[in-house]
Amino acid sequence: MKIFTKQLALFALLFSIYTIIFRYLLSSSLDQEKYTIIWVYAVLYGVVIFITGWYLGKADGMNNIFFDAGLRFHLTNYVCFGIISEFWFILGFNSGKETISTVHYTLIFWGLGVIFHFIIYLLLRKQTIRGIMKSEIFD
Amino acid sequence: MDGVRLKNDLLVAWEDTYKKGQLTLWIFLALMDGDKYMNEIKSFIEDYSENSISCEDQSLYRALRKFEHVKMIDSAPGKGNKGPDRKYYQITDLGLEIFNEFTRRNIKLFYNKKLMELMNIKTEKL
Repeated sequence: MKIFTKQLALFALLFSIYTIIFRYLLSSSLDQEKYTIIWVYAVLYGVVIFITGWYLGKADGMNNIFFDAGLRFHLTNYVCFGIISEFWFILGFNSGKETISTVHYTLIFWGLGVIFHFIIYLLLRKQTIRGIMKSEIFD
Repeated sequence: MDGVRLKNDLLVAWEDTYKKGQLTLWIFLALMDGDKYMNEIKSFIEDYSENSISCEDQSLYRALRKFEHVKMIDSAPGKGNKGPDRKYYQITDLGLEIFNEFTRRNIKLFYNKKLMELMNIKTEKL
């Protein structure tokens, strides 16, 4: 199974850029106590990630014949978000109103989501032949 | 909607559905004819299907990769015509077994006198 594809690498890069921009907007908005606009940034962040993931995921599916239930993209999301968020605090870019424990709680709950996704992947993998979905071998 | 347009739209809709999944059969027919590289497979399909099966390079390549991975076909490098080596595909024993079983179950059953008559196909022409 080819784990790293061009599309996944591009997704990781774009997601990292989005996350850095979001982190900057979040921290600066918190410092300026502009709480309402944070919702807008959060929704935009989510929408842009969804569109990028949708587009690159489809392109990845055209080149990558193996089934992974979107797990590689999800895991990439999780790892990039975790690394950037941790370094945001380590480098002192965070707002005084942010605490690193929020990041840790996010990673713990999100990590449970990733584990759940992995279990779903293992269950669905039973519907594959040599890693390819039965319904897609002859489509 | 006039009758001609209705007939044409219904026929195209039926054919679109019918042709889904046909690429596999055509690829195997091409390889039953002998080892081929991708463009030869594509030409075979277009010629014998009278261009009724769309055979885009990306779809064909993706299908060949899948069949090779599940060991229904195999590939080996061969000499290209003045250019670089080509990847020649061939059907494996497993692929041959599956192809024969598939055609027996799904294609040969149409070669029934009654069904041929119903489809207005005259056997002497075959």
